[in-house]
Amino acid sequence: MKDIRHLLHVAAAFVVVIIGFLIARHLVVPKSFGRIGHYRADAVDEIKALPLRYAGEQACAPCHRAQAKAKASSRHKGIRCESCHGALQAHAEAPSSLKPAKPKEGEMRAFCARCHEKNLSRPAKFPQVDPREHNPGVACSQCHPPHQPK
Amino acid sequence: MNRRHFLRTAALAVAAFAGRAVAAPLAAAEKFFKEPPWRRKKPYWGYAVDVAKCIGCGRCVDACKTENDVPREPFYFRTWVERYVLRRTGEVSVDSPNGGLDGYPAPREPESIAQSFFVPKLCGHCENSPCEQVCPVGASFKTVDGVVLVDRKYCIGCRYCIQACPYGCRYFHPELQVADKCTLCYHRITKGLQPACVENCPTGARMFGDLSDPESALTKFRETERIQTLKPHMGTEPKLVYKGLHKEVR
Repeated sequence: MKDIRHLLHVAAAFVVVIIGFLIARHLVVPKSFGRIGHYRADAVDEIKALPLRYAGEQACAPCHRAQAKAKASSRHKGIRCESCHGALQAHAEAPSSLKPAKPKEGEMRAFCARCHEKNLSRPAKFPQVDPREHNPGVACSQCHPPHQPK
Repeated sequence: MNRRHFLRTAALAVAAFAGRAVAAPLAAAEKFFKEPPWRRKKPYWGYAVDVAKCIGCGRCVDACKTENDVPREPFYFRTWVERYVLRRTGEVSVDSPNGGLDGYPAPREPESIAQSFFVPKLCGHCENSPCEQVCPVGASFKTVDGVVLVDRKYCIGCRYCIQACPYGCRYFHPELQVADKCTLCYHRITKGLQPACVENCPTGARMFGDLSDPESALTKFRETERIQTLKPHMGTEPKLVYKGLHKEVR
């Protein structure tokens, strides 16, 4: 009889520990964990809800029709507006809140050179010039309008 | 139990186990060929880079940092651009000043260069992603549409995943104290937009699309071009593929 009481004590201790573990697990493991896989399903929605900074090309054309039309037939047609004018989701939501960036005349040569400066590492077919020899001091846009470069 | 009885039971048990051992891989192989991993879900996102189109302007790196609030200091990148310079002597050098964010100066000693090119790098969102496997808490995971993400609230900052990625695509976020990586701009692609790096690439070197759609431009690209992945021997099966990769690229 005394032996069985020993066993009952151990069994009671086990039950307490297991129930304690289950309660702790219930409190600690997030609600959505395991709903889709071995992760917190709510994390997917949290990442989806992160703020946008770039509005995307389709946001520009409805207002800036002339520029979009000029660009569509030019050699710069593959370049999205925000590549040169910066991240503009805020401008797309409230046009007066943020003015799109535009390279200033003085900075233009450095700006265009980022892509078009002669560099051996670039693909040979890509149009490149040496800005020190190619009409130094003149703003690129005087000869090459950026929306319809020639 | 006599000997005959024992032998019969043992033979049945061996047959049953052998049957199971063959059946499971056969079923897995059949499932793989009938329904490859990239065809399982709609959409299932993938990415491609055409190396020959990259001009090393760094617009993608800038766009990524802007869109995703990646710290501006060097060493924190979700995507970056590397430049390979192959000398006539056989020497190969790779540089990536500030991840290519500020563009690249012309390489030195041009007369000794056999070949030079740019290679954009980013997370491959691997089918068998090591980073996801090593996470001790389930903070790194793959979504049903194939994107490997980090749960910032659940990450304990142990950095094991950063060690595990063979492509070096993860970094430790200095302010949030969690592992961080490319999300393929999950907040954009789930709204029908392009990832910021693809949106801002002026030459179309970067391509994003749906692998589950047989008509998508990305599927066509994968079917018509000779493509490669980085470190195929690792068995990670990245969904990021490259066209025109040189053998020296790691």
